[in-house]
Amino acid sequence: MHPIIENAKQTTDQAELYWNRSHSIAVRYENCRLQQVTENDVSEASLRVIKQGKLGSAYAVFPDQEGFLDNAITSAAYGDPAQFSFAGQADYPQLATYDEDAAQLQSADLITLCESIKSKLQKQLPNAALGMGAKHVRTELTIQTSNGANAEAKSTEASYYFGAPFRGAGTGVFKFASGVSSPVVNDRLLDEFVEWYNWGNRTSTPSTGRLPVMLTPQASFLMMMPLLAGVSGDAVWKKTSPLTDKIGEPVLSDRLTIHDNPLLAGSADARAFDDEGVPCHKRAIVKNGVLQGAIFDQRVGAAMGHPSTGNGFKRTMFGSGNETPVNPWFCCPTIEPGDTSWRKLMSSIKEGLLITGGMGFHSGNYPQGQFAVQAVGFHIIDGEVVGRLDKTMISGNIYEDFQKIGALSSETGPSGGFLALGESPYILVDSLQVAGR
Amino acid sequence: MNSTFANVVSSLPADYADLRFEENRKVRIVYEGKELTQVATTLTSGGHVRAYANGGKAIASFSDPGRAGPIAEATCSSAMLVGNSREKKLKVASAPVITESFLASPSRDPRKVSLNEKLELTTHYNELVLRNPNVITTQTVYDEFTSRRIFVNSDGSIIEYELINVGVFGMIVTKKRDVVQRVRFAFGGNTDFAPLLNREQDLAKQIEKACELLDAEPAKAGVYPVVLDPSESGVFIHEAFGHLSEADGLQNNPSFRAKLQLGKTLGKPILNVADDATLEGLPGSFEIDDEGVRGMRTPLITDGVLSGRMHSRETAAEFGEPLSGNMRAVDVQFTPIVRMSNILIEAGNSTFDDMVSSIDDGYYLVGAKGGQTSGDQFTFGAQWGYRIKGGKLASMVRDINMSGELFSTLQATSMIGNDVKFGERGGCGKGGGGPMQMNRKSGKGSPHIKIDAVTIGGI
Repeated sequence: MHPIIENAKQTTDQAELYWNRSHSIAVRYENCRLQQVTENDVSEASLRVIKQGKLGSAYAVFPDQEGFLDNAITSAAYGDPAQFSFAGQADYPQLATYDEDAAQLQSADLITLCESIKSKLQKQLPNAALGMGAKHVRTELTIQTSNGANAEAKSTEASYYFGAPFRGAGTGVFKFASGVSSPVVNDRLLDEFVEWYNWGNRTSTPSTGRLPVMLTPQASFLMMMPLLAGVSGDAVWKKTSPLTDKIGEPVLSDRLTIHDNPLLAGSADARAFDDEGVPCHKRAIVKNGVLQGAIFDQRVGAAMGHPSTGNGFKRTMFGSGNETPVNPWFCCPTIEPGDTSWRKLMSSIKEGLLITGGMGFHSGNYPQGQFAVQAVGFHIIDGEVVGRLDKTMISGNIYEDFQKIGALSSETGPSGGFLALGESPYILVDSLQVAGR
Repeated sequence: MNSTFANVVSSLPADYADLRFEENRKVRIVYEGKELTQVATTLTSGGHVRAYANGGKAIASFSDPGRAGPIAEATCSSAMLVGNSREKKLKVASAPVITESFLASPSRDPRKVSLNEKLELTTHYNELVLRNPNVITTQTVYDEFTSRRIFVNSDGSIIEYELINVGVFGMIVTKKRDVVQRVRFAFGGNTDFAPLLNREQDLAKQIEKACELLDAEPAKAGVYPVVLDPSESGVFIHEAFGHLSEADGLQNNPSFRAKLQLGKTLGKPILNVADDATLEGLPGSFEIDDEGVRGMRTPLITDGVLSGRMHSRETAAEFGEPLSGNMRAVDVQFTPIVRMSNILIEAGNSTFDDMVSSIDDGYYLVGAKGGQTSGDQFTFGAQWGYRIKGGKLASMVRDINMSGELFSTLQATSMIGNDVKFGERGGCGKGGGGPMQMNRKSGKGSPHIKIDAVTIGGI
């Protein structure tokens, strides 16, 4: 047990230490040239205490930093009564989150990887202003409590991305991949990038009205972010969620089954325990369109008379990190795929949109299920792409528009946008409101 | 410590190197509804080193100051590795050597205000919001950030400086049947504690709007002429134009670099835009940037013509343009990137009534609600709005997001008001090729403006 927990035991009712040490190396290319190498060696710690029944917290660089415990105790003097106890001893699932080879990656290895991507892409797209990068992170996370929790995890993450703006345009195509192990360039991803980049040589603006829309995995955040905001136990508790009192009722199309799966094999986001030291497990959120339940951390769970679901994370919709208080949030949200290829689904669209991203999501009323974004993607006519979208917005409400989903693709990919975790298939929505010509 | 760090950078075999060491203190008090969820003090420290060697660049952040030397040496080696692969070598523009201190001295220093007073103030505003029967929850936040920084570089600069940003901000959440609406409020946003006090009337106006929105209709999708209030037009010029004036975003983007040559006509002669770190008491005001260059005023658009842009020492060298003092990092885990200070549209001659009466069918949009940009594409939201019919303000509307393309929208900016106003709370998210940096110290100002055509997403 870390000495600060031993010290805290003398002066507080309970204490919890979160300590994260990470070492990362990243290389970045812009317009086909190596621009920068970044190497970070960072420690971050947070301490929560309960003293005289009240909760306090403090943040620091190292656990033995002067004033760390005193700041937490001062915070507790002003804090609200704690309705919960910090985690106790628990058995955690065994997860393969650490890869010895990935842990040894150096900047030269990441440069070699990027040069390989560059070489393959430049053969087919000699004039594209290619950007790319690769990153390796090695992390040690410790969560200890005065109640006996002692959670420790070593993990590695290796990732790469590449992209390019369409010629003369503000938007472009972007692909990425990540995992626990040393990265291998995925040729399918490269081929798809080349195809999509070439689709964007022309622009097209659909007319204003309702049209079928297919979301790529990267664009699935348009549905997932409002849903996850609504399923957060905090929003349910405060009755700001449109899903309050809807457990057991259909809220989305019966084609949709959605889990939070922290145990997702090979995922760099997989976790055996949450940021409170509570064991994680796979949990159904929506099954065949029917809402299964909300997610809780210890604080919100206690307020609602529900145990933590192992979803107490230092993450919110738009931020994460040591200084973010623990909230109910997701680890690896996954949508179960369908059985038809996305290309076959696209070929069935008479006129519609293939959406790869959306700008301005955070300005909308997303907690209520609504979104209105500038559409990034392609215009489809008679099953074929006729150009990249220009001057086009799409809008809708997931609890109305995502009741009617035509199909889900058999392929899945990493979710994008603000999520950057989990997996999703392509989602073909019967129609969304489009503002174009 | 200053001389130790100075020795570290001066001993490196680099073309140029600098090191920034920070001691940061944050105080954060958060109410969510009736619940006081956080009263926290954060003490962090650490360093960030940058090295240019052999025409390449590398950077590193570290927590342990005792490791500054070996980390700086490794960073210099990485820079050489980058340089080996580059035919086009990176350089930094020369800048004055500065050996000065720039310490903050607000009229009421938040560092000298007791935690108890800060908590009482936050509680007071939160309770005022909760008293309204339409309010179902709140988020009320007291947010104080103070940073003491040491900057040294291989040119010989040794600079000590302080940054302070303090504010109370929050969200009012109202509900009627199935309609839930959110309206923001923000007081303060600069170095001084005094503007946080006695803001009850301002808060009451925001609560009233959050209640009125419950009976408003959603906006209708389509392309419309719009009048933007100063808060909205500040976000518009920040998102749509400001980010494209940050040279690090253009540096490796040949097509936009070609489109944005100085001297290009971007708008009508009524349009004048500047970035100004020297304006007092605004969120984005500062004396020295995180690259050791003084903050200054930079004209960006003069009489409708592109007249300047914001730079780092690296981009100033590459573009052959003057330094602008716009390099900033939110804290030690981040490298400085080119950021707006206080961007503003300067006053024109039109009145608000002139603008509204010139529109037959459009919208008046009020209250910044964030935005996003990618190249010449931009979006931004409005907290509320009003339909304009036959030259007059009509019914209130809600759930408004709009988008456009920079060059056509600047040309379509047809009227500029005479009533410049700056937002109190700053804020801007930018990655600049690295992790997202949420910068509190980014101000926005503008008068009312009229744009002839904007795409609005809605029902």
